Amino acid sequence: MKVRKVSPRPKNEQRSAAKRHPRNKWRVHNKKIRNSEPSHLSPSPATAKLEHQLASRQKLKLKRLQKVYPKTVALTPEVQVKSKVTTPATLPHVHTNGGMEVKNGSDSEDSQEWRSYAKSILQNGMGRGGREGRKNSSLMAPEPFEDEEVPKYHAQHDHAQNHTVLVLQQGQSLCFRGRCLLTCLSGRVEVLGFTIEQGQQPYPLFSPPSHCPLTITALEDCTPSIKNKKEGRLEAKAIIRKYLSSEPRKRLLSEVDSDSCVVLLQPLDTPLTRFLSSFSELNQLFDINSKELRSQAAVHDPALSAVGVTALQGPCSRGLVVSQSYREALTSLLSAWEDFDRCPIILVCGAKNSGKSTFNRHLINSLLNHTASVEYLECDLGQTEFTPPGCLSLSTVTEPLLGPPFTHQRDPDHMVFYGQTDCRADLDRYLDSLKTLWRHYSRENPIIINTMGWVKGHGFQILVDLIRFFSITHIVQLSYGDTLQCNSLTPEFLRAAQGWQTHPPAQPTLAVEPANHFTARSHVLLSIRSEFEAAGTAGEMRHQRSNELRDLALLGYFSQLQSAEPGPIRPLHCFTPYQVPHSAVAIGVTHCEVAPNHILYAANASLVGLCCLGEKVAGRGGPVLLSQIPICQCVGIGVLRGIDMARGLYFLITPVPPALLRQVNCLLLGEVTLPKMLLTMQHGVETELPYVTTDYSFDITGAGKLNVFKGLARPCFGKAKMKN
Amino acid sequence: MKQKQKLRHVVAWMSRAEWEQLLENLHSGQAALQTHALHRLSAWRGRFGNNTPVAVESTANLVRCRVLDSTGKLEGDDLVLLYSMALTRFVNIILERQQGKTAKPLRRLAGKLNIPEWIVNLRHDMTHHKLPSLKWCRKGCEFVLNWLRQEYWSRQLNGRLIEDWSSSSEDEEDEEERSKKHEEERARRQREIEGHKKARDLLIHYEREQFQVYEELLRRNSVHGPWPDASSDLSWILAQIKQFSSESRDMLIDALVQDGFLIPTADQLEGLGIDPSEDLLDLWAPCVPRVFLRFWFPLWKVLNSPLFVTLILEKLFAELSNEPTNHRAHYISAWISEILRCNSRSESKAIRKLKMMEERIFVSRVSFQWQELITACLKAPCPATPFLLQLILSDMEKPLPLATQQNLLRLCSIYTQSNHGDSSPNNTDSSQPVYTLESLRERLARATQNRHAHSPNHTPGSAQAPPTTDLQEYLSAETVQERNAVLRGSPWSVCTVSHQAEEAFSLSPASAQSDLLILGIGCTLLKKSLSCFCWSNCLGFGALL
Repeated sequence: MKVRKVSPRPKNEQRSAAKRHPRNKWRVHNKKIRNSEPSHLSPSPATAKLEHQLASRQKLKLKRLQKVYPKTVALTPEVQVKSKVTTPATLPHVHTNGGMEVKNGSDSEDSQEWRSYAKSILQNGMGRGGREGRKNSSLMAPEPFEDEEVPKYHAQHDHAQNHTVLVLQQGQSLCFRGRCLLTCLSGRVEVLGFTIEQGQQPYPLFSPPSHCPLTITALEDCTPSIKNKKEGRLEAKAIIRKYLSSEPRKRLLSEVDSDSCVVLLQPLDTPLTRFLSSFSELNQLFDINSKELRSQAAVHDPALSAVGVTALQGPCSRGLVVSQSYREALTSLLSAWEDFDRCPIILVCGAKNSGKSTFNRHLINSLLNHTASVEYLECDLGQTEFTPPGCLSLSTVTEPLLGPPFTHQRDPDHMVFYGQTDCRADLDRYLDSLKTLWRHYSRENPIIINTMGWVKGHGFQILVDLIRFFSITHIVQLSYGDTLQCNSLTPEFLRAAQGWQTHPPAQPTLAVEPANHFTARSHVLLSIRSEFEAAGTAGEMRHQRSNELRDLALLGYFSQLQSAEPGPIRPLHCFTPYQVPHSAVAIGVTHCEVAPNHILYAANASLVGLCCLGEKVAGRGGPVLLSQIPICQCVGIGVLRGIDMARGLYFLITPVPPALLRQVNCLLLGEVTLPKMLLTMQHGVETELPYVTTDYSFDITGAGKLNVFKGLARPCFGKAKMKN
Repeated sequence: MKQKQKLRHVVAWMSRAEWEQLLENLHSGQAALQTHALHRLSAWRGRFGNNTPVAVESTANLVRCRVLDSTGKLEGDDLVLLYSMALTRFVNIILERQQGKTAKPLRRLAGKLNIPEWIVNLRHDMTHHKLPSLKWCRKGCEFVLNWLRQEYWSRQLNGRLIEDWSSSSEDEEDEEERSKKHEEERARRQREIEGHKKARDLLIHYEREQFQVYEELLRRNSVHGPWPDASSDLSWILAQIKQFSSESRDMLIDALVQDGFLIPTADQLEGLGIDPSEDLLDLWAPCVPRVFLRFWFPLWKVLNSPLFVTLILEKLFAELSNEPTNHRAHYISAWISEILRCNSRSESKAIRKLKMMEERIFVSRVSFQWQELITACLKAPCPATPFLLQLILSDMEKPLPLATQQNLLRLCSIYTQSNHGDSSPNNTDSSQPVYTLESLRERLARATQNRHAHSPNHTPGSAQAPPTTDLQEYLSAETVQERNAVLRGSPWSVCTVSHQAEEAFSLSPASAQSDLLILGIGCTLLKKSLSCFCWSNCLGFGALL
């Protein structure tokens, strides 16, 4: 095991490197660590680790350059730029991530701009790809991370104002876990495809261990580099002076250069984070995950940890793994505006865990660099991006997505409550719901259609239907491994493919769109081969299971109830509910048959979709039941907190504003249930909790749920024997 | 303690009463009651979703067959088809869980669960061969329902039996839970290792920095003079240590009391010009060598919060009770005495001098849990115990009666075989005092246990959750009015909590009055009222008679 602890700070290192007092006796109790250190670097095995680090770092910087050059000569000059970040002054002004200065006024029609932007993505990407390729190459001995540069961040924390100023040199990146609020003070940085530059609003970043870690990358400045270097440096220094008090300031000033990026990191304290941290089960939600712990990826930096950020190093700090095909797909999507006389309609599909959501977020963020808004149609019931699970929705996205779904639960423009986390039970209702949503699409903005991971059998037929219904212009098909998980959705294939509701020869589309003639045109297929490590396998770590993520999304949704000002976190059962008479709202169950006279037993303390039926609901005193499940607008979800039979009232807790709530006349129950912890942890309730028991034993035969048979190989002889 | 805490499961029945009522109805043998139970089970399925226990589902299917059979409206062939599906599903889904990686014959699996072979054969006939006769179907249904009752319904929610049941669970939910636990455990351990390593690293840096300061002093020949102010490097390390201690205080304390830090190694002592030979140690009245104290002084200065001091004192006593070597015991007790002396109320001359030299490791007086301190001290007998005890006793805010103090000291001296000045030499009757001390220690140990039960040694900050009443959202009249204004014209309104209801919302369990009400759709519900502000409000269980 190699000890790679991060040094407190550079100055310190230099000092310790200068003084080389072998202090054997001070290390006698620390044999293990000492022995693992390569002795050739230090005159004595007991020499400070700091010295070792400094020595190795200096050495490695050179080594690294040597290494990168031969590998990257075949690529664009950009690669060298990237690897030569330590000497940025010598660079000519290479294209940058383009046109940020005109960003605010940009419109999607400006093809020139798009082209340059797309190009820049490509080249940037290739730069990254060069390194990635090096890392990923299976030919490389296991050595690559050994000599990886130990990241060193110039960050200083100001205790008085409780924020940290981080200086990143061009091309330097910070891959991290945790959460913070990022403001760019000088220069430009990129996070998951989104460029943040000086003068923009602060953006919250969430990098929980369940997802790919976020990376803050400093970009080159796009303003002409003719700008006086000294001026630039002074400017940056002035900024640092403004944000830091004298003591930490001193340490940072020496690190600032005219072209370094200065970002301000503040601790993030929102109703969401406060609500989540009120659950003890979630106390490590923003810590590093167990895999990173094992590989000792955390960099100890008090200035960063003071604002809730843990930097990563080593193999875990790779961040988003962008494969060649991924980059190319992104590039061609960004340049799609030129070739099309209408907005691109992009459908992203692929099997489970192939990286759809991350690609979507990356794509949306990249698009938002240039267009004010992107539309998003959610067709994945299980892992919804903006809404609670079990809902289909159409959203307008104007803010970048710098975190997993539970951190950006937003009200969609239109939503239909489906009630289950997959659509198997009722394919027609699923398709009809989506068609309803599609009618609301304005066609003025690009739209991204996210699909479910079910790409076999009927799931594939549904995919074919969606492509036909929505006149898709671009299909992004993600796959992993050596074989495709389903047929490639080429235009030729679609001409003959059988859908669930659509059929190939007769009518190409059954959609009621006026834009039928568009379907005659075929789409562009962009195949992406995901190359990240765990592609195709479901996450097994904490908070990675899909049901845990759904619970988090629901908690994220209900955190909207918490007051914006810091104050006590209220458990859900402490909010003042709304009430409505039984006879004024209809109630229905979407996922199974429930005896009508017992439906309220199923409804009590359950999640309900708040829907608006077209017709008026007026019962004669008692509850109104739905005989079939309608497809109608859903304004949000709520918790049926209680049912008062005496007064004939439902009590409902919901973050939906009263103005929307007044339209609600239908409550739909679904299979998506309240997160268990909301029921099991009701602090302050001393009486027995309803629906909660400690006496139920799963050890008893038949106590568990139906085992979903996950295709375990059943040997033939076993079958034969069974039949006897 | 954590192991014993039972997991809370979310289930579909609101209370044990609902479960028991359903159980009774299911096995009542009366079609009307069974139908009612089936309806309730449909609601449970609605709540459970995919998580419906397989035994519950099988029971519902089989009871449904029985009920339909008893109506006499269906033909024999209809019933055979119904029974066949219910029985086949029972065998399949109950045995599915027993399957491992490779498929095993159903008969063998069934044997493990006490399901006789004829049931499995019946299932094979139903799926692959000629359909069995209605008679066999009824027989099979009868048997399986009894089996389910014995194996599932009577066992479940029956605390006594569960304890006896083998702990090996083949259930997925538990497995998931377990693997999660395992992973958490591993992560926690890893985190701990990391933390310890970090703590040691920081302290090593500190030591190295301080040692250089010392060498500098040595060179200038002013070892006994004041140490210079912390250099910027040192203060940076100190800042890091402080930050670390705010995150993981326990780890820092653990590291500090290891050999090589607060307990110097012989090499370290030599390095500081202190003779490390053990003969020179004054085991009876230990004190920290001045140079060594100054060496650690800057660290103490940043860590002087009362909480830290209390915790490290606790830790030092705990270490002392682990029967350390003489050398270790000496330094541990020396640090304890140093802490106690610094905290001393009586401003003795020496202390005042220390204060003047600003060499007190912490300044503001900490109010210890004296009783506990005495316990800890007595639990860690060593040669210096009488000395430490004396320090504690003389410093207590509410001193013990003088006689008690004397007795304690004497007992202590006898136990540690020391010849403390206080103990009278003629007190040689050893059996009595030792006996008393034993019992004293026993009692104190019990007291300690109690204390531990009450306050787990986590940070005192992890307070219990405040009662709900404090967290209850009280909307101002304006907010309510505002919201209601928006909602006007619709059936919705903000829940108006009348004065009377407000009482009910609070946590009084007395309000569990039950009025019978007729629900519009023909179901009789027992109203449980808005008893507490948790999820139950009104629905109880109902019986349709």
